[in-house]
Amino acid sequence: MNFSTRDLPKMRDPTPREPKSIFKFSQQPESAEGCLTAFESPTLIVGWVEDAGRLSPFVIDYINRRLGAKSFCEVEPAGFFSLEGVAIENDTAQFPQGKFYNCQRNDLVTFKGNEPRLERYEFLSALSDLARHYCKIRQLYTIGGTISSAAHTDSRRILSVFNQQQMQEELAGLGLENMNWQGPPAISSFLLWVAQRKGISGVSLWTEIPFYLAADTDFQAVKATLSFLDRKFDLSLDFTDLDEQIRQQNTKIDQLRQDDSQIDRYIASLESGLSLGAEEQVELTKKVTEVLEKI
Amino acid sequence: MAIILYKEPELRNPIMFCGWPGIGNIGLTAIDTLRVVFRAEEFGQIEPWDFFDPQKVTIVNGLLKELEFPSNKFYFQRLKDRDLIFFIGQQQPSDGPARYAQGQKAYEMANLVLDVAQKFGCRRVYTSGAAVTQIHHTTRPRVWAVPNSQNAIAEVKQYENTILMSQIEGRGNQGVITGLNGLLLGVAKKRGIEAICLMGEIPYYLQAAPWPYPKGSKSVLEVLLKILDVQIDPSASLGQALSRLDELAQKVEENIEGFLESLYRAEAIPPEVKDEIEKLRYVQPAEPGPITEEEKKKIMEHIDELFDQGPSKDEGPHPAGT
Repeated sequence: MNFSTRDLPKMRDPTPREPKSIFKFSQQPESAEGCLTAFESPTLIVGWVEDAGRLSPFVIDYINRRLGAKSFCEVEPAGFFSLEGVAIENDTAQFPQGKFYNCQRNDLVTFKGNEPRLERYEFLSALSDLARHYCKIRQLYTIGGTISSAAHTDSRRILSVFNQQQMQEELAGLGLENMNWQGPPAISSFLLWVAQRKGISGVSLWTEIPFYLAADTDFQAVKATLSFLDRKFDLSLDFTDLDEQIRQQNTKIDQLRQDDSQIDRYIASLESGLSLGAEEQVELTKKVTEVLEKI
Repeated sequence: MAIILYKEPELRNPIMFCGWPGIGNIGLTAIDTLRVVFRAEEFGQIEPWDFFDPQKVTIVNGLLKELEFPSNKFYFQRLKDRDLIFFIGQQQPSDGPARYAQGQKAYEMANLVLDVAQKFGCRRVYTSGAAVTQIHHTTRPRVWAVPNSQNAIAEVKQYENTILMSQIEGRGNQGVITGLNGLLLGVAKKRGIEAICLMGEIPYYLQAAPWPYPKGSKSVLEVLLKILDVQIDPSASLGQALSRLDELAQKVEENIEGFLESLYRAEAIPPEVKDEIEKLRYVQPAEPGPITEEEKKKIMEHIDELFDQGPSKDEGPHPAGT
């Protein structure tokens, strides 16, 4: 137990700490650290497995694949997840995971993981400590989808939340829109706050997902997010495959609109900036999901 | 995990009062009323992030302005004869989705609270919660007192409307205090600090209700005022606070009556369960009660369903087996 007498209840913890032994390195820490010292103030991009429009896992996987990133460290789940059993989703057994990846370019580190269910502060604190201590990261980006009442034919806005004004000023002019929100915090906001206490500047990017695409992969939102990261980090990504996936998704929804005048009216209302009632939203989501999940 | 003190006041013979959420918020309401009446000044807090998840974020124009956690604050007030420290927690910590505070986190919280008590030389700590028992909501609740030392028993016996476990029939002088109230008594005992838990009675058919139970809080508050030897001036802030508690208690009682009536009318409660609840209306608290454990179990099955009871971190201590 520590006593501290301070003028203000808000505190800052600028001293780097050794990350707790919640991470398992794929190499011995010494050699992993030796490997990672090649980084020069990299940026950490964090995505969570469960996300609206399956946005962040898709984006992290896409970057990792295109940049040839390899996992160098993973989270030990004990203590952060209930391990009383194994969840079954999509006919397969699931298990919580969290992995860090380093890209060959050496200026990006990515993390993709399940949101911790227990000891969230300890988890996020250790994640930040590892990123700073081993990877010497300079900035943090979190990515995620935020559910919107916009239509899928609208462009996807990216809303942003910064933990330092300086970084906000640095990214001004890159097409991000400021978020305003008061309410329950997402895990990314919690991470942003933890990073702030540790002196790491960061931003959460929230890409809009039309509500009726929240349960599926919103390829348009994925592309909007990747395009931003491509511009910011000069990744030279080729979006040909993604463009094809967007085209196919839009074609399926267009076909549904032609076949079902009710659905067409719903989407047209959204395109006009009107909102739908709760039952209409449910019906639209159900029918779009059915169409998109058809093989 | 740390305690942050904004100032270190010099206190004489302080006693500490601890309040946190629990069944009917009986303890929290009583202790916090006392804190407000005495205009106690905040002087420290326990860092919340190791114990609780944040509840609210404020984002303005793209900047993260604030992340709010349940607070756990210390307050002090100097009185003529002795000084007071208050600890008010907005939530009880627990490891996992437990109904009551339990596990390592709760143990650590109890220790941190007592670290402050010891730092300022407290020799007595009071906690407060609910005693779930067989009374009717129209009955004046008694206060069950459980000290952690035999030395305090004589003192407790002096207080009006207060009983020890050995005076409650049918309990065999035994019970369990769950949550932080129980842990604090135990940890204080381990450290050699005298502590007393004061539990205001609440009818067992209301233990899952989402309402406060100010009647129980008032009973506890009356005992606390006796402990502090405070006279009640109806025109002063204390008298006004008690009046407000009375008013709130009356409103809650009316709500309970209305709620039960609507359940009876809708036949959501079987007639025999209704009869069993209504029996309590005419029973004095000192009596062991006319209903059997089996009858009580039957009532609870129905009442819990009606309140859609589920595990809640906010629900606090109660003596098990009541």
